[in-house]
Amino acid sequence: MWDIIAVDISGRHKIKNGYYMVCAAVSVVSSADHVEKVNQVKIKPFWMDSAPQVTDVVRIIEDTVKEIKYGGTIVAEKGDMYNKPEWVATSMFSKNFKYQESLSERLAIEMAHHISLSARNLLIQELDIS
Amino acid sequence: MKSVILVQRNEPRSNESENSDKLFELEELAKSAGYCIVGEITQSKNPDRRYQVGRGKVDELASLVNEYNAEKVIFYNQLSTIQIYNVSETCKCEVIDKFHLILEIFATRATTKRAKLQVELAQLEYELPKAKNIVSLLKQEERPGFMSLGEYEDSYEQDIKNRISRIKNELKTAKKDRESLRKFRHDKGFSLVALAGYTNAGKSTLFNTIVDEDVRVEDMLFTTLSPVTRSLNLGGRHVLLTDTVGFIEDLPHWMIDAFRSTLDEIFLTDVILLVVDVTEDAEKIRKKLATSHEILWDKSEGAPIITVLNKVDAIKSDELNKKLAKIEYLAPNPVFISAKSGYGIDNLRKQISQQVPGWKRTSVSLPMSDDGMAAVSWLFEEGVVHNIDYGDYIEVDLEARDEIILKAQIYEREIFVD
Repeated sequence: MWDIIAVDISGRHKIKNGYYMVCAAVSVVSSADHVEKVNQVKIKPFWMDSAPQVTDVVRIIEDTVKEIKYGGTIVAEKGDMYNKPEWVATSMFSKNFKYQESLSERLAIEMAHHISLSARNLLIQELDIS
Repeated sequence: MKSVILVQRNEPRSNESENSDKLFELEELAKSAGYCIVGEITQSKNPDRRYQVGRGKVDELASLVNEYNAEKVIFYNQLSTIQIYNVSETCKCEVIDKFHLILEIFATRATTKRAKLQVELAQLEYELPKAKNIVSLLKQEERPGFMSLGEYEDSYEQDIKNRISRIKNELKTAKKDRESLRKFRHDKGFSLVALAGYTNAGKSTLFNTIVDEDVRVEDMLFTTLSPVTRSLNLGGRHVLLTDTVGFIEDLPHWMIDAFRSTLDEIFLTDVILLVVDVTEDAEKIRKKLATSHEILWDKSEGAPIITVLNKVDAIKSDELNKKLAKIEYLAPNPVFISAKSGYGIDNLRKQISQQVPGWKRTSVSLPMSDDGMAAVSWLFEEGVVHNIDYGDYIEVDLEARDEIILKAQIYEREIFVD
């Protein structure tokens, strides 16, 4: 069993005059093919005037993961890091970082994706910023 | 045996061991296709639009072809029509790339109608983007038609497109047939188990050992192209085990699409046996497992996976443990076996029994009559009878799937009412 923190960012496209993004971090205990336990979930909204660069993505992920009280390797999709090679992405984070590999890691990222997407949709609707 | 020369262009500053692995894979593919490798050329360079490798390298290649009388040149990198044309003009021999080579292998191995159709589909998909260029290259100055302003391209390209759509329709019908067969097998109470994994991991050897059969096994890639299914007895319970075509790295999407119906055999099963060759380097195993997880993700519909670590007799136990520590997070339910010697097969059978969808256990009372005896023989056929007592009544301790138990209980009530 391993502790991982799966992250996903929704909303990296322009709306109105900026980028309204929501990052979700999901701390889980995983085995090779199952998510055994969900420890904690944190979501955090971000606003940027210009399109996020890789360094911005790193900051967004780190800021969200900071609020998770459990340890573990951060796992993200390669596309979230603009398909940078893994060693480049890993060297940019202060915590352990890797791209998704196993079925459980993919499942955890899917959870993070649904959480960030629905949280963003809710916020956009409530704050009327679409 | 045809003699060939292999060529590989590497990206500048790319990982050397990865590059040599890729070249090794190309060597294995060439051997599988029955070629004799007489020379190899590699170059680190950004791709050249006209020749893929540098102009000087092509001249070097041409002299090598001449020296060894090579009949073919095989590139690891995907070639454009222009590149094929230019290199073959310089070398004066046939030039193909890795994907064409895989198609050649598939074409020689395809035995069933479905496999042949799949191979033809893959060949046509490969041919389609090149169709226009091929015609323009061959008929550079010539223009067909009455006033010589007509075009060849459209009709050739259209012919390929028509043939592709015809094959896709035929494959769709074949897929439906197989789906109904799968449903029929499920309805009959068979659980389905599939062997998956990289090509040459030992799937067919394991298949033969576990079902005690004689499916063709060879030390080459893509020995199995059409899935083979046999019944496997697990302590009285029958499951159907299917041997499938192996995965391979960097396959283009059109080739995966062409063989999707073969891969469906894996995705629609109850248990997946993911076979891994542990004699390979830990990093290589990790990569292969990661790719397998990627292929299985989203399509396997939650079927449990057993990671079968094959060829354990070929490495020392401390080395095996070190490798396992590195790949553990990608290896659900690991089982150590040697398909060749039979080591660990019993353990694997136990694991499969634990993972196949559960059967219920119950006891049924039947009268001592002809009807009762007929019911008993039916229960022996459909489930596992753990114990049977012939007293005033026949007491059967039975393990079977839900429908059988339900039918048996209805039958039990009906017989006693009568």
